[in-house]
Amino acid sequence: MRSGSPRSLRRRLVPYGLLGPGAIWLVLFFVVPMYFLGELALRSGSFTEGFTFTWEWANFPDALDGRGGQIFRTFTYAGIATVLALLIAYPLAYAIAIRASRRWRMVLLFAVIAPFFTTYLIRTIAWKTILSDSSPIVDVLQTLTLVPDDGRVLATSGAVIAGLTYNFLPFMILPIYASLERLDLRLIEAAKDLYASTRQAFVRVTLPLTAPGIVAGVLLTFIPAFGDYVNAYLLGSPNQAMIGNKIQSLYLNERNYPDAAALSFLMMAAILIVVFIYIRAAGTEAFMGDDEEAKT
Amino acid sequence: MVLRKIVIALGLLLATLGLAACGGDDTVGGGSDEEVKTAESGPVEGKLTISNWPGYIDPGKNGSVTEFEDETGVTVKYIEDVNSNTTFFGKMQPLLDQGESGGRDIFVVTDWMAAQMYNLGYLQELNPDDIGTVLENLAPQFESEGQYDPEHKFSIPWQGGMTGIWVNTSEADEITSINDLFDPKYKGQVTMLDEMRDTVPLVMRADGIATEDATKEDWLAAIDKLEKAVDSGQIRRFTGNEYTEDLTSGNAVASIGWSGDAYLIGRDDVEWRRPEEGCNLWFDMAVIPAGAPNPPAALEFLNFAYRPEVQADIAAFVNYVTPVAGVKEILAKRDPKLAENPLIFPDEEFTADCAPFTEPPGEDADVQEVTEAFQEIVSG
Repeated sequence: MRSGSPRSLRRRLVPYGLLGPGAIWLVLFFVVPMYFLGELALRSGSFTEGFTFTWEWANFPDALDGRGGQIFRTFTYAGIATVLALLIAYPLAYAIAIRASRRWRMVLLFAVIAPFFTTYLIRTIAWKTILSDSSPIVDVLQTLTLVPDDGRVLATSGAVIAGLTYNFLPFMILPIYASLERLDLRLIEAAKDLYASTRQAFVRVTLPLTAPGIVAGVLLTFIPAFGDYVNAYLLGSPNQAMIGNKIQSLYLNERNYPDAAALSFLMMAAILIVVFIYIRAAGTEAFMGDDEEAKT
Repeated sequence: MVLRKIVIALGLLLATLGLAACGGDDTVGGGSDEEVKTAESGPVEGKLTISNWPGYIDPGKNGSVTEFEDETGVTVKYIEDVNSNTTFFGKMQPLLDQGESGGRDIFVVTDWMAAQMYNLGYLQELNPDDIGTVLENLAPQFESEGQYDPEHKFSIPWQGGMTGIWVNTSEADEITSINDLFDPKYKGQVTMLDEMRDTVPLVMRADGIATEDATKEDWLAAIDKLEKAVDSGQIRRFTGNEYTEDLTSGNAVASIGWSGDAYLIGRDDVEWRRPEEGCNLWFDMAVIPAGAPNPPAALEFLNFAYRPEVQADIAAFVNYVTPVAGVKEILAKRDPKLAENPLIFPDEEFTADCAPFTEPPGEDADVQEVTEAFQEIVSG
């Protein structure tokens, strides 16, 4: 049946055509920069003499040398911020998607996105003012004895984690909201008809059905929080410096480009491994949605 | 399956890297290959872009920048994007290495950084005939002290100043020495500068070391002392020019800082003190980078800033040590109090124990070692 071949050829090419723009984007802004990053990471020399390409693999262990604590701190901060964001975002998204009336839904969603009309940097600097040592908020926290009288909030781990949580919270709310909005409420009704308690219905119906949103939200929060250096710089002290701060300093202040590139490379690899394990553990269907199941 | 794909991708990446290794002798860093040019003079017109530190001229409607625009018809884009020498250099270096300046015609950086840029071939040289007003009015103390560029071949003093301690007098009035900043009483309320050549020599001098003769070990010992203070939470932050914000908001009661920043801090109860053991003297230099689009206007602007009556406005606004002779006399008529201010017109007695910036001693590698040790405490 050769007569169908032009059409089938076209049909076979269409998916590639659709992939095109995304692929070009990825090649230009990911593969090419990765290539230059990798190439830079294998150079040796000094800034004044110039760095030349010499397959300097030693840059990789050098870049990690003595940074264990800082890497651990970065994982911890990003991890805590992600968990906090999830704990705040899920009830909020639930309230917006399920409890709120249609009219209020738009208003509340707008309120979630509204902070994004101001740039990230300005919002973080605003936090600096809000949390400064003599601010009313710190006074209240001191009165409530949540902060010791001679204590402070700014330039502590708490401030950095709070900043990370705040800045990436919408990335958690929006995917969870999207998956909650699609939730078929009749399924919960059905669960209750089958004598499930409210809690059981939530744990066995709502939560699994919104897992894709949670997984996406966790990734969208954790990955940028891990690489962030603005919050640690503005809201922390040197004792709160994250790995992003070190990379920035290696590049801009110490002008040790190869080590900066090597460290960036390793951190990307670390993130990739963590994400890989996470998706494996969460299951692909949680990540992709349950469409596959629906088909069969 | 996925694993195999990853292995293949990595293999491909390495293969292309190998190709690059064979084909390329290109280096990253190491300075510009192009020949050093002399800034060309010519008709003054068009657009002029200046990168400067915050608070270093009045960029407002009635300020000196507007006056220059009105007089010459040049449109000035004045950017206050220099907050720290190293960070500014780090940001500009990839451009400078390509012989470009990001559209900027003038940078103002500290003298040691200007020298570093010049040695890398990133700056244009200046023809003495083109900067007549500058050389004519340059104050004598700026001529002799300009150790990095005594003949003003590539840089012209913009302002000078002193590094000492800003003290909140209502909270920490008894601070008079750098050593007082290490007093546990002020734990977490002290900030220092992320400029190594500012902070480290002050700490050494407080421990009785003459900075001119300091060895690499002295530098590293001072950095070690700082590291302990960071670990204990004594030092809140290392910052560039933003240290003024922590003083304004009261987060810091004492900061190592620059003598002319009273305007940026904006508090009457915060005053600059020369540490009893002495201060740092420094000179911020205006330079014309290679690739500057409009050198004639840049040269004209520098001549303009060196007219005593223009500089009097600048000095009154900036409050740093002015490099122009004759300004004191003009200000004495206008505002006698300003003319008496030792921070703008320090006499020799005031700066007797102060010393200009020094580099860490030794080869490039030694300087790099000290720099890395310092950055290690600044960025964790």
